Amino acid sequence: MTEQMPAPRPSDPPKWSRYQYPESLIKHGTLLAVLLFLGYSLHFLNVDIGLLIGALGRFAGVISERYYPPDLEYVLDRGYLEAILDTLQMSFLGGFAGVCLAIPLAWFSAWNVTPSRRLFFPIGRLGVISCRAIHETIWTILFVSVLGFGMLAGVSALTMFCIGFAGKLFSDEIEAIDMGPAEAMRAVGANPFQVFLFAVVPQVRVAFTGIAIYTWDVAFRAATVVGFFGGGGMGWYLKRNVQQLENLRVAAIILSIIAMVLVAEFLSGWLRATVNRAK
Amino acid sequence: MAATDVNPTALSLQADLRRKRFLKMGLIWAIVLFFVAWCLQGTIIEDTDWARVGGRSGVLGSIGRYLTLDWGLLPELLIPTLETFMMACVGTVVGCFFSLPVAWLGAANVTPSKMILYPLGRFLMVLSRSVHEIVWALIFVSAVGLGALPGILAIAMRSVGFISKITAEAIENIDAKPVEAIRAVGGNQFQVMYYGILPQIYPVVLATVIFEWDINIRRSAVMGLVGAGGLGLLFFRQMNSFNYGGVSMVILAILLLIVLGEVISHYLRKAVI
Repeated sequence: MTEQMPAPRPSDPPKWSRYQYPESLIKHGTLLAVLLFLGYSLHFLNVDIGLLIGALGRFAGVISERYYPPDLEYVLDRGYLEAILDTLQMSFLGGFAGVCLAIPLAWFSAWNVTPSRRLFFPIGRLGVISCRAIHETIWTILFVSVLGFGMLAGVSALTMFCIGFAGKLFSDEIEAIDMGPAEAMRAVGANPFQVFLFAVVPQVRVAFTGIAIYTWDVAFRAATVVGFFGGGGMGWYLKRNVQQLENLRVAAIILSIIAMVLVAEFLSGWLRATVNRAK
Repeated sequence: MAATDVNPTALSLQADLRRKRFLKMGLIWAIVLFFVAWCLQGTIIEDTDWARVGGRSGVLGSIGRYLTLDWGLLPELLIPTLETFMMACVGTVVGCFFSLPVAWLGAANVTPSKMILYPLGRFLMVLSRSVHEIVWALIFVSAVGLGALPGILAIAMRSVGFISKITAEAIENIDAKPVEAIRAVGGNQFQVMYYGILPQIYPVVLATVIFEWDINIRRSAVMGLVGAGGLGLLFFRQMNSFNYGGVSMVILAILLLIVLGEVISHYLRKAVI
């Protein structure tokens, strides 16, 4: 009995070895390197650390001095209210077009149901990533230089933004489906489009609706500043008043943006809850 | 016989239900399409100056200007790229510091006062997320002047909402026993936070911060458009001097930086979780 081997112990989970010699060195070394990098960054960027610490106090001071009584009459003006409506329309249109274009791209860029892993998968991935990588303001500037000032450029920029945003969420959603129905359809000889339409879409319909509503919400947030670079809507008023140093009007416009974004967020939350209940 | 027998009323009920659902879907689609048509009319058909767009040749010509890359800009790209990267890193760290107290206030189970401070924390989260980073940058440029500092602060303020929201949710979902144990042996608020809560939320928060850092690279690339340095400033200058090849170079640099950030964050997230 005594010479019986002890039962093999389960190997220690990595959590317990974390503070032993080599890992602890790596851990603290990484922390030190990150701190050094941050310190060097502050030096490289010429940031006055005292200013950084005092910035919040200054921030409150600046707000109360320059922005305080916001010029609310300005935002209740007819022209501005029409700009709010324009912004809403732009975000809706951009979101709609973006979602419509994102669905095929998401289908291409989902590894499990993509029509061809060699050809369509890279196209879909590249399309979604490049739309996502470039910020919506840069899209706006590019489209303004190609299409001219106005809401066409804004809508195009929002469309690109929404393709990137919704495409990634859609393809993540498709990659998480139950593959059983798709396998069954493939086994009886369905082509990739039939698989997508009858095996994938029924599983992701509700999630896609929720994502589409959320995309509109995010697109509205982006649409408030698209006008700042020539895309039309509320942002254009913001730009004009910033440049004329009409700080009280700027404060009122920012307040109106916050109010509208809150309304949009509430609306999208309510719609998503309704969709989830109705499924 | 009984197995194949189907109740005719049940069948008709089912058909009725299907027809109802079909009508409902049709109604929703009709409303959506009506909205689309209305928006198209309002924003694109009426608002666009088609003469300025200039038909297919005009658009293709405008796009063509971007395709001749200006390789001479290459040496000038290095420092702004580095600045953008650093601004994103510092901004994320500052944002983490700001979001800790906000998350503490806005988590229902640890907030010091449910009546006053909890709504305040929630409000700060929403405020941070609802103001676009460009607007934050504008406010900070007017508060602290031009340079990298307003960019860092704008990125930090914009990150607070997301980080603190996820952190607060993580705090609300923790196992309450360690917290109770520390309270029972007389730990104060800080000790409860440090020994009871922090070890439990640490992985979730770190993953969120890495995710946010990835997004912040994108954001810091546009901070220069409103006067906060980095690649955005170079982009703005190239655009204003109508050097379209240079604009394309800057965009390529942004793409490269973002792909790099995505690769780094992928490996970091693997290392953390």
